Amino acid sequence: MTERVRTSADRQLAYEIISGGSGLLLALFMWGHVVLVGSILTGARGFDWLATLLEDYYVAQPAVLAVFFLFCVHAVYAARKVPAQLRERRRMLELARGLERSGREKVATRTDHSPFRPHVESMLWIWQVRTGFVILVLGSFHLVLIGADVFTPLFGDVTGIEAASSAERVAAGLWIPYAILLLCVEFHAGVGLYRLAVKWGAGLWLSRAALHRIEQLIFWVVLGLGALTLVVLAGWLDPPLAFLLEGGAT
Amino acid sequence: MGDDRARRRLTFEIFRFNPEDPESVPHTDTFELDETEFMTLFIALNRIRETQDPGLQFDFACRSAICGSCGMMVNGRPALACRTLTSDLPGKIVLYPLPAFKLVGDLSVDTGTWFRAMSGRTEAWIHEHKPFDPDAVEDRMSDDLAAAIYEGDRCIECGCCVASCGVANLDETFLAGAGLNRVARFMMDPRDSRSGAEWFDIVAGDEGVFGCLGMMACADVCPKELPLLEVYAYLRRKALGARFVKARES
Repeated sequence: MTERVRTSADRQLAYEIISGGSGLLLALFMWGHVVLVGSILTGARGFDWLATLLEDYYVAQPAVLAVFFLFCVHAVYAARKVPAQLRERRRMLELARGLERSGREKVATRTDHSPFRPHVESMLWIWQVRTGFVILVLGSFHLVLIGADVFTPLFGDVTGIEAASSAERVAAGLWIPYAILLLCVEFHAGVGLYRLAVKWGAGLWLSRAALHRIEQLIFWVVLGLGALTLVVLAGWLDPPLAFLLEGGAT
Repeated sequence: MGDDRARRRLTFEIFRFNPEDPESVPHTDTFELDETEFMTLFIALNRIRETQDPGLQFDFACRSAICGSCGMMVNGRPALACRTLTSDLPGKIVLYPLPAFKLVGDLSVDTGTWFRAMSGRTEAWIHEHKPFDPDAVEDRMSDDLAAAIYEGDRCIECGCCVASCGVANLDETFLAGAGLNRVARFMMDPRDSRSGAEWFDIVAGDEGVFGCLGMMACADVCPKELPLLEVYAYLRRKALGARFVKARES
């Protein structure tokens, strides 16, 4: 039997599927992640109950490994599209800035028929690259930290993820990198999903403007929930949903 | 349009460079002109050439957005000079030649070489291997399909999409909007006998649709408002389908 030669087209398609698919999975995971960490809004008991559950049933450990794997795969395959030369990046930035500004000048006489339709997506792509690099650094740090949290209890008598130590860390100053990470991740994921939807033809069902609005809505909702979680973890606000678990032993 | 709006004094900053003249240095010249009613950039440039600088180079032929020769960077965005009303622009108008193409001089670029090369690489003509039978009745085509093919054929090859594309600005072989639109037009055409596998290598190759970053500027600047994003989504899905068919056959 003859071995079929992989053509460049085969590879390009595979790269596109891998980078888009890993991005999609990571974006979906991030939404779930924000909801799970949001359990702190019900208080430390709710958070600890969920964390123990996920660790005792060995959901957390493989999840950390899977996310770490997807994280690396996505970094490698999505970064293939970032121009390597500084000169090329400058060219792209200059182009994207010009395109964004030209749709935004205030012109009193501009009509609805103006060919200067607003355009932000080129600049959004550049911001995706920038946030991607921030995520690569801060996300790696976060993954290693949480990896240590969930794996060390397997080898010794240590508690895994728990509200008390998490809150202590966040209050001690970790809220700064976490706030940056949250903003970057939600932006990167939101714009990424919007771009993925347009790329594969969601435009057939929904207009691009509608897709963009949905993306922005999800971005603000998830960012708000994540920010609230961070504020509660830092101890600046009492858990607003604590009444849900009231009545049991505290 | 009111009279007061037609009384602006416009400032034009225009790129000047003659690559044929060894003494010419790239720079910009500033011209001032009184705005008149329904003034397009095409009218303004001709007025500048007639009254201020007979040496100013720019291209035009049809002055009705069909010849595609007057594309230029208007305040950072590719647009057709003949289709752009000065009333849609701020009082200061900065004009540069389209990037990604060979400069002829000042605002004039050679789009022909790029389009000729693209046509050659994609073999943008009907491929038919059946012997010609002059007595046979022509094959029928549905109205919907004919309309879809005509939609793609509306491209005037002005090069605005190419100039707005981050990838095409760095890689002269990338097919960009006009090229991918052309490929899709022949893929849809039942008279073209190229197989899925043959198309796959053209569509999904290094220069094809998977080189696209999804910045969407092409669709926003296209003077003919071609549905370019739907065209790319169609090509992506077709490439994916062709890959599965190829895998099953081998």
